[in-house]
Amino acid sequence: MGRIGLAHYAMVAPVQVLLLAFIFVPSLYVAWLSLHQSSYGQIPTFVGLANYAAITADPVFWRAFWNTFLVVNLVVYGELVLGLGLAVLMNGPVPGKRLIIAILIAPYAITEVTTVVMWRYMLTPDVGMINYALESIGLGQITWWQSRFQALGVAAVLAIWQHLPFTFLILYASLMTVPNELREAARVDGATAWDEFRRILLPLVMPALLVALLFRYITAMRLFSEIWLLTGGGPARLTEVLAVYLYRQAFSYHDFGVASATGWMMLLLSLAIALPYLWHVYRQMFRHA
Amino acid sequence: MLRQLTLYAGVAALAISAATVAAAADKLVVTSHAVHQNVLTEGEGGNIVADWEKESGVEVEFLTFGVSEAQERAFREASLSEGTIDVSFILGRYGGPHIATLFTDLGELQAKDPIEDFDEISPGMRAAHTHKGKLIGIPFRHATHGLLYNEEILAEKGFDRPPETFDEVVEYARALTFTRDDGTKVHGMAITMDDPSAVMDWVRAYGGDFVTSDYEVVIDSPEAIRALTMLRDLAQEGVLPSDVTSHTTEDVITVMQQGRAAMTNQPFGRFKNYNDPEASQYPGAFKVRPIPMAEGVEGPHAAKTSVWAMTIPANAPNAELAWDFIQFVASKDNTVRAALNGNGPVRLSAYEDPRVQAIVPYAEAEAQALGNARIVVPGFENGAKAMDIFMEEVEAMMLGLKEPEAAAADIKARVEPLMPQS
Repeated sequence: MGRIGLAHYAMVAPVQVLLLAFIFVPSLYVAWLSLHQSSYGQIPTFVGLANYAAITADPVFWRAFWNTFLVVNLVVYGELVLGLGLAVLMNGPVPGKRLIIAILIAPYAITEVTTVVMWRYMLTPDVGMINYALESIGLGQITWWQSRFQALGVAAVLAIWQHLPFTFLILYASLMTVPNELREAARVDGATAWDEFRRILLPLVMPALLVALLFRYITAMRLFSEIWLLTGGGPARLTEVLAVYLYRQAFSYHDFGVASATGWMMLLLSLAIALPYLWHVYRQMFRHA
Repeated sequence: MLRQLTLYAGVAALAISAATVAAAADKLVVTSHAVHQNVLTEGEGGNIVADWEKESGVEVEFLTFGVSEAQERAFREASLSEGTIDVSFILGRYGGPHIATLFTDLGELQAKDPIEDFDEISPGMRAAHTHKGKLIGIPFRHATHGLLYNEEILAEKGFDRPPETFDEVVEYARALTFTRDDGTKVHGMAITMDDPSAVMDWVRAYGGDFVTSDYEVVIDSPEAIRALTMLRDLAQEGVLPSDVTSHTTEDVITVMQQGRAAMTNQPFGRFKNYNDPEASQYPGAFKVRPIPMAEGVEGPHAAKTSVWAMTIPANAPNAELAWDFIQFVASKDNTVRAALNGNGPVRLSAYEDPRVQAIVPYAEAEAQALGNARIVVPGFENGAKAMDIFMEEVEAMMLGLKEPEAAAADIKARVEPLMPQS
């Protein structure tokens, strides 16, 4: 392999410049803004860490944090389990496989707003078809978004339903690359289906699993439209997640200092949540590699 | 040589004409709620915007948003160093001295080139959009609440007249809550919970208030607590829909049009939506009257009002054209035309116009309510935060998580530090 020269740097430069211009520089600006009091028509005033202190003293922020933690973990691990299960199933002999895969990935083609409106309507008391079905079999109606955990559960189910195709496709593609010879050899050696999955398939799809986990953690952490359109963070701000908290600070209260500090807190908290998992999975991956 | 000169002259002429075209505005950009576009373009009053476009030769482009999003967009655009918006519709309760610098002083424009019979627009409405001595908005629409009721459902339960006191509103609401033979649940009352305006009608009907005009937080008064207690009780009895705390304006419109709720307190203009044969299952059955007070409470009506006004951002690219548009829209005749299209007119004379009286059956009732209406909260910098706290505590109370007294005390404790410091 030759030395890395100027031409190589030039070839990767456009991406680096874009990242610098659209991610790094705005992040620095947001960090600067988080140390200021700022609103429309006002010159930002330096307030030190006061915005961070205000956020950490706000019980609504911590409730939003725990709501985010709960929903993100439900969504990410729910998707991984379901996605892996479906990928393994589809990797075997299944009649009508192409049609089933098309149906499985269809939700990914629907916009988030449409998805939420559709589910919201189906779950509406009195007229929604899910409540109607529940009542007709004698289970009574459920007012889904009047309780914090029911509403968060609905948001998680909705996010899983919509984003499952992403995880499924990554894992299915990875499973398809596993050579049949390996599986046949294992069977000749007397491996059960579970042994085959645990000892051969799982280690081989682990890198893809890590990629899916990483991507979904990053995107799920920004969960917004499901909650905003389903409950608006209510009732009584009980179902608010961090992105909704940030939106409210910035676009309802026009408190850009607090909103920026919330953005940075989200980044730090998501890193704190994700790093131990990622580190563990990363080490597992290389132990088996 | 001659050919060269001709070529240069041609290029110069083209450049000059291109510059002239660029300098003359061909579009006026307006940010608003969809309702403003509707009442300016559709209905019995005709298309007011099209008439201005014909007169000025300039096309109007509307960018429409939800209520709070419309304010956010207006403030955000106005705070940029270079603007693209010419006219923004904003709502009084989102304003305040903090945003005064973002908008043009329309008082100065009014002094130079006045709007016809401007003094007719009530001083209270103008005051809602005057900050730091600057008139930043010309009132265009008021959304004053009335009590809308489905006469057919009332008759079904034996009521031949609307409630005349707020105690009767509650009594009717309980009696109008039932399940039809086909399993459809009918709730006596539906209320919008996306901001405090509907809840405040209840608080004021019992003689209470949230924030007074001199910024005193009085939600813990016995009158206000009586209203909050009544709301909590009706929510828990099922008189209000089971998912009431998440009911947006659109949800209330849907349940009313489908006959799943019998009464609501909303702007008078909603009369049109509820009686629309294309959208409502009860066209013609809806009536509206001013919201009555509870027995023993002073005052004829408990209406809240909100005033939308037209502003010109300080960075508007076509400020002169924007003022021309505002003058046109705010004229006496166009105020009447917009009222015929379903707008709440800011000129009382519009209610006396025979065209309005012929087409708007609630004109007299709305004029009565308007005379006693008050804004939900006075405008101040932390107004949006105070309103959110109010709703958060009221919702917690309606879910049974807090007693009304505790909710009121918490609202007061959390909102008082947000009040403007004198």
